[in-house]
Amino acid sequence: MNDQGHRRRRIRMLSLLFAAGLALTACLPGGGDDEEASAGETAGAQTGGGQAGDPSQAGADELVVWDIYVRGTERDVAEQLTSEFEEEHGVTVTREPKNLDDLKATLPLAMGQDDGPDVASVNQGRADMGAIVAAGGLMDLTDFGREQGWFDTWGDNLLARNMFDESGEQFGTGNLYGVAPQAEIVGWFYDRDTFDEHGLEPPATFDELEQLLATLKDAGETPITFGNLDAWPAIHTYGAIEHTFVDTAYLNSLIFDGDVSFDTQENAQAAETLQRWADQGYFTENFSGIGYDDSWAQFAAGEGALLLTGSWIAGELDPEQVGFFLTPGDSAGALPPQTGGMGVPLAVRAGTDAPELARQYVAWMTSERAAELWAEAWLPSRTPAADAVADNPLMGELVGAWDQVLAEDQLGHYLDWATPTFYDALTAQLQELLADRTEPRAFVEALQDDYAQSSQG
Amino acid sequence: MSEPVVGQRERRVAGRAAQPPSPGSVWRRPWLPYALLALPFAIYGTFVLYPLALTVRLSFYEWDGLTAPSFTGLANYVDLARDDTFVAALTHNGVFLIFYTVLPVALALGLTVLLTQEGAVRGLGVYRIGLFVPQVMPMVVVGVIWRWMYSPVDGAINELLGLVGIAATPFLGNAGTALPAVGLVASWVQYGFALVLFMAGVQSIDRSLYDAASVDGAGMWAKFRYITLPGLRGPIVVATTVSMIAALRVFDLVFVMTRGGPAQRTTVVAFEIYQRAFVLREVGGAAASATVLVVAILVLSRLVLRFQEAP
Repeated sequence: MNDQGHRRRRIRMLSLLFAAGLALTACLPGGGDDEEASAGETAGAQTGGGQAGDPSQAGADELVVWDIYVRGTERDVAEQLTSEFEEEHGVTVTREPKNLDDLKATLPLAMGQDDGPDVASVNQGRADMGAIVAAGGLMDLTDFGREQGWFDTWGDNLLARNMFDESGEQFGTGNLYGVAPQAEIVGWFYDRDTFDEHGLEPPATFDELEQLLATLKDAGETPITFGNLDAWPAIHTYGAIEHTFVDTAYLNSLIFDGDVSFDTQENAQAAETLQRWADQGYFTENFSGIGYDDSWAQFAAGEGALLLTGSWIAGELDPEQVGFFLTPGDSAGALPPQTGGMGVPLAVRAGTDAPELARQYVAWMTSERAAELWAEAWLPSRTPAADAVADNPLMGELVGAWDQVLAEDQLGHYLDWATPTFYDALTAQLQELLADRTEPRAFVEALQDDYAQSSQG
Repeated sequence: MSEPVVGQRERRVAGRAAQPPSPGSVWRRPWLPYALLALPFAIYGTFVLYPLALTVRLSFYEWDGLTAPSFTGLANYVDLARDDTFVAALTHNGVFLIFYTVLPVALALGLTVLLTQEGAVRGLGVYRIGLFVPQVMPMVVVGVIWRWMYSPVDGAINELLGLVGIAATPFLGNAGTALPAVGLVASWVQYGFALVLFMAGVQSIDRSLYDAASVDGAGMWAKFRYITLPGLRGPIVVATTVSMIAALRVFDLVFVMTRGGPAQRTTVVAFEIYQRAFVLREVGGAAASATVLVVAILVLSRLVLRFQEAP
C-alpha cells in the first residue's frame, strides 16, 4: 500500500516534470519560429549589402576562413597561400581548418550569423550548399566569376555543380556560389610492373579493358583491388561502367533536373557488367569485408593490378610505379563521360563585412600560383605550369586526363548526388548486386522507385 | 473511498508524533525542501527536460534545421511506420537485446559461479581485472579494433580460422553474418560490467546459507537456483536495465564497424536518427525517431524494474 502510493506519487511527479518541460517549450513556439525566419531575412538583407561591396567597412581587413585543409601537404599549401595573400593585401586571415563532417554540421547555422566565417568550404549538393542558399547564407559569385574568367577556365558544365537558383531548390543552374582549388577525377590507377610483366598497355576501348581484366585473371593476378565494406567505393566502380553507356546530357538531367528515369536499358546493362565482373572474380576476394583504406593500402603495397578510384588517392601512391588512365569508350578516341568534379568549393558568407576581400581570397586560392602548389599532392582544378608536375609522372598523367575531360566536355557525375536519399539507396542496392542478391533489372527498378519518390518530395 | 484517506491521515499523524521534536526541523520551514530542489531542477530542466520536450515537439514538424519549420501533425510518425529501413532498424535493436543483455548476463552469471568457488580458481584478481577490461575501453576504439580483427585480409579471426582450414570470410560484409558479428562485440564489452556487479552482489550473500544448504545436501545447481540467483536479484535487474538501454541506443559500434551496411542489415534506430538529422536534414523525422526510441527505452526499463519491486 505504502509502496504503491510512493510509486504513484513518483509517476505523478515525473509527469509533472515532463509537463513543465513541455510548458517551457510552449512559451516560445512563436518565438522559435520567428527567430528562424528573421535569421533568414537578416541574411537575405545582408546579401544585398554584401553585393554592394564596400571594403571600407569595419573589419574589412580581417578574414575568418573555415576550410577543410586539415592535414599534411594540404594544410601546408593552404597556409603558404594564405600568408602570401596576407602579405600582398596587408590583411589578417585567420584559418580555422575543420574536417568535412564537422563543417557540414556547423556551417548551415554559422553562415546565417554575424560572426560566422567570411569564407568557408561548403560541400556541394542539395543537402549542404542548397540548404544554405535557401536560408540566404551564401553570396552570389556569378558576376565576380565572369570578371575572373572562371566560366572560360572551367566551363558551364563543371561550374553547374556549384550553382543553385536563389531559392536553393533548382540545382545546377542560376547563381554561382563557389569554386574549388582542387579537382577530382575517377579512373584507373595501374601497377606499371604488373602491366610490363604481362605485356599489357592501358586499353583504348571498353572491350580491350574487359580483355585486359580477363588476361590478368587468367594469369593468376587480382585484376582490380577493391574493398566495399564502406559501401561507397562501389558507387565509383558502377559509375565508371555506367558512364560508358550514357551521355552527359542524361547524367545532367539525372542529377540536376530529376526528369529522367533511372530504370533504363543502359543502367541495367551497366549493372549486368558489374555483376559479371564480380562473378568472374575480377575483384579482390572477400571485397565485401574490406575497408577502402585497407584496399588502397593493398594496392599501394603492390597487390592487384588496378585500382578504380578518384584522383584524391594519388598522394598515397608511388608516382613512378603507378600510372593512370580514364575509362575507355566503345571506340578508340571516343571518350565517354568520366565521374569527377571540383573538390569542396570555397564560398563567401552573404553577410560578411569584407565581401571584396573574401572574393579575392577565393580567387587567390584557385589561381595559377595556387595550382602549382596544390599539384604537389592533389590534382588542381586549374592546370598548373608543366614544370610544376615534371618530377611527378603520375600527377602529370592526372593533369592530362583532367584537361582532356574538360576539353572534350565529358565530365560526368557522382551518381549518389541525384537525390538526398540516393546515396543510401545506391550503396545498399550495389551491395546486394555484388553479393548476387538482386538482378540487374530489379536493381534499376528499386533505384528508380527511390529516385522518383525523392524527386517528388 | 473515504476509508483509505482516513487511514492515510492517521498514519501521517502517527508518524509525526513518533518524530523527536527537534528544534530547526525541516517541517518548520515547509519551503526548504523546494528551495533545495530548485537548483537541481533548474539544471535537470535545462539540460534534460527542455531538450526532451523540444524533441517531442519537433517530431510534429517538418524542418530542415535552417528555414522555418512547418507543422505536419503525425506525418513523421506515419512515415516512420511505412519506412522499411526504420522498421528494420527497430528489429536490429531487438536482436541487439540478445547480444547486449541476454548473452552477457547469462555469461556473467556462469562466470560468477565459477569465480566464487572457494579455492577453485587461482589468481582470481587477475581474472577479475582481465574480464573487466573491455568495459573500460572507449566503444570507438573497440569498434576499430574488431573491424581489423574481422577483416578477411590478415584479420586475427580469419587467420585463426585459417589455421584449422576454414577459408577467410568477410564477416562484416556478408548479409548473414554482419549483424551477429557486430552483436558479439557488444556482448564482449557488456559482460564485464554485469560480472563486476554480480561478483559484488555474491559477496553480500551470507556464506552460512551455503553451509546450511550443504548440510541439507544441496548440490551446486540447487545452491545457485535457491541462494545465488535470488541473492543477485538487485544486480541482475541493474545489469539488465543498463545493458538494455545500451542495446537500444547503440550507435558508435555500428557507425565505426559497418555504417549500417551491408545493404542496411546492421542499421539501428540511433543511426537512422543521425542519418535523418545530419545527412538528410530531416530534423522532424529524426525527432520522431528519437521519440520512438525514448518511449521504447522507458517502457522496457519499466518492465524490467518491476522485477526489482516484486517480493
